[in-house]
Amino acid sequence: MAHKSSEGRIKELAGRLRPGPGFWTLQRHSNAVRYLLAVVLSLLVGCLLFLQQGENPLYATYVMFQGGLANIVNIGTSIRWATPCLIAGAAVVIAFLSGFQNMGIEGQMLVGALAAGIVGYKVSLPHIPHLLLCFLAAGLAGALYALLPALMRLYLNISELLVTIMLNFIAEFGTYYIVYWILMGGTRSNTGAAAIKTEDILESAEMGTLIKGTTASTAFLFGLILLVVLQVVYKRTVIGYEAVQIGQNMEYARAGGVNVVKRFFQIFLCSGFVAGLCGGMEVCGSYHYFLANFPGNLGWEVFMVANAARYDPIALIFISCIWGVMKSGSLQLERVTTLTRYSVNIIQMLFILFVAVDYVGLYQKYKDRARVRREKKPAAKEGNQA
Amino acid sequence: MSTLEMLFGHVTMASAFRVACPMIVAAMGGVFSHSAGVFNFAYECIMLCGAFFAAYGSHISGSYVVGGLFAAGVGMLLAAVFGFFVYKLKANAALVSSALNMSAWALTTLLLYTIFGVRGRVVSDTIINYPKIHFDFLDRFPTLSYILNDNIWMVYFAYILVIAAFVVMYHTSFGLRCRGVGINPAAAETVGVNVGRMRWTTLLIMGLFSGLAGSYMPMSGLSTFNENMTSGVGYLVWAAILVGKSNPVLTAITCFVFAYTDALSTVLTALEVPMQLVSMIPYATVIVTLFVVGLRSFTGKPRILGD
Repeated sequence: MAHKSSEGRIKELAGRLRPGPGFWTLQRHSNAVRYLLAVVLSLLVGCLLFLQQGENPLYATYVMFQGGLANIVNIGTSIRWATPCLIAGAAVVIAFLSGFQNMGIEGQMLVGALAAGIVGYKVSLPHIPHLLLCFLAAGLAGALYALLPALMRLYLNISELLVTIMLNFIAEFGTYYIVYWILMGGTRSNTGAAAIKTEDILESAEMGTLIKGTTASTAFLFGLILLVVLQVVYKRTVIGYEAVQIGQNMEYARAGGVNVVKRFFQIFLCSGFVAGLCGGMEVCGSYHYFLANFPGNLGWEVFMVANAARYDPIALIFISCIWGVMKSGSLQLERVTTLTRYSVNIIQMLFILFVAVDYVGLYQKYKDRARVRREKKPAAKEGNQA
Repeated sequence: MSTLEMLFGHVTMASAFRVACPMIVAAMGGVFSHSAGVFNFAYECIMLCGAFFAAYGSHISGSYVVGGLFAAGVGMLLAAVFGFFVYKLKANAALVSSALNMSAWALTTLLLYTIFGVRGRVVSDTIINYPKIHFDFLDRFPTLSYILNDNIWMVYFAYILVIAAFVVMYHTSFGLRCRGVGINPAAAETVGVNVGRMRWTTLLIMGLFSGLAGSYMPMSGLSTFNENMTSGVGYLVWAAILVGKSNPVLTAITCFVFAYTDALSTVLTALEVPMQLVSMIPYATVIVTLFVVGLRSFTGKPRILGD
């Protein structure tokens, strides 16, 4: 057997790295096409909205991007708003990849955040144990809140979709009640604080900031690592494989020996744990106290972001970052122009709608239809002549 | 007034009777689309936009009829948008519903600011209300009259609609085909039902009635439009349809129960129960109702049925 020279070896490796003939087809890059087209289309419609409100659309778009990316502080704001998307999005992916519609992310986030907020200021511990205790409390609270819908699905066969949405509302009012009536004593505190919130958490419970002068915390790194770990788990471990099988074809999983009931329980509680953890990290990392009803629309937005990413952890990272930039841009837009942040909300919604469309599939369909029509024409002509 | 009288007396019942109206009208449209297997829960969006455009239509034309027509038209338009994205562009139905629900608040607030020029709420005499109807024969029964009399037309229309929906759903061929499409589209197709057309029809019906239901709130006597006026009612409508399993009568009863809990909130705040706990009640009621209904299939063993 002839030894290959080192030159020959390098050439062979380079040959393998060079993309083959089928690399640049549309199918391969259908995701990139979707994201690009969605951003362009939603910005186009957004420009129409800006025009309707009397602002120069190009200037408004420039301000939006400047708000998201211009300087280190703005990038910090983008990171800060991408973080809950990442972690809560991970919770959504965990649930939905296994076919379970845990729509209660907002509720689990709220109870987790409240737990972390309370542990944050009532308990006094050194830095690392305090942080870990806060996270544990947050995650457990979220998992416990996911317990009721899980049990109702297992024992009473009630779809968790509606139950979790109702629990969201209950958590919204419940946490407000606990903070306002029990913790704040039913009256606004006489320090003049206008917000319904708990006291500031102790310094030992604060997470490190990523960028000085912003509220971007190390939770962003945690989110990135979490999603990478999830990707590895789903692609390379047996547990991940089973989880995805439960989502795709439950009977197949059952036949393959997966204990579906036990796995469902574990996955659902896991999703609740991560959602609670997200709330806890919001409190410990960015807010440093628990603010009543802080998620706002975030609870619903993460579903759309995760769905837009087709529940793929790595795609979720990219879309969350785009989402964070848009959110930061909307805040800047509100400061600098007369536009309100609702315009950018609408653009975000349009982005989600446009991302959900399968452009490459549609393009293929129309291409095929055009081809069939072209092939029919000469046959028809022959038929007429005959 | 004693507590019992406050809880079940004619004031609360009257309030429940009225508040149930928008929920029931929207739900009657929704039962058809849900029976046909259209997974659209954008009731919140359609009702809120219907409310805004009813106020707008009434404002620019000075007539409540135009307001109502605007609302119904916008409702059908939004349902068509849903249909376009889900059936033509093959997007995920839950995603499009969520996106529509969320964007409704932003859109109506934006339009409130650009068209009426105010933030938060607009109270304007130019928003003409629906006229109240008075039945003379009810004057003989004061309690009943308090509950049933002097309501706008939509309140009476809602209850008539329940009967009509029940008849159409279970005693006409349209209702039968609608349910068939939902249960097994392939089987319906083989019998000759145009599944696509049936889905679009029920979708537009749902949009029409939800939009009309939305027009209740601004034009029921207050002449006002608030930011996020519906605030969760759309989700309760969807919950009612799911709990009532698309049966118009059961769904209407569930809507009435939700409306009753809503009416209860005024009573309970008067009894010094904190407002947040009171706001929780409608949502907790849904869970309790589901629990009670689900107990029938309780076997004591945990099991997962595949979808």
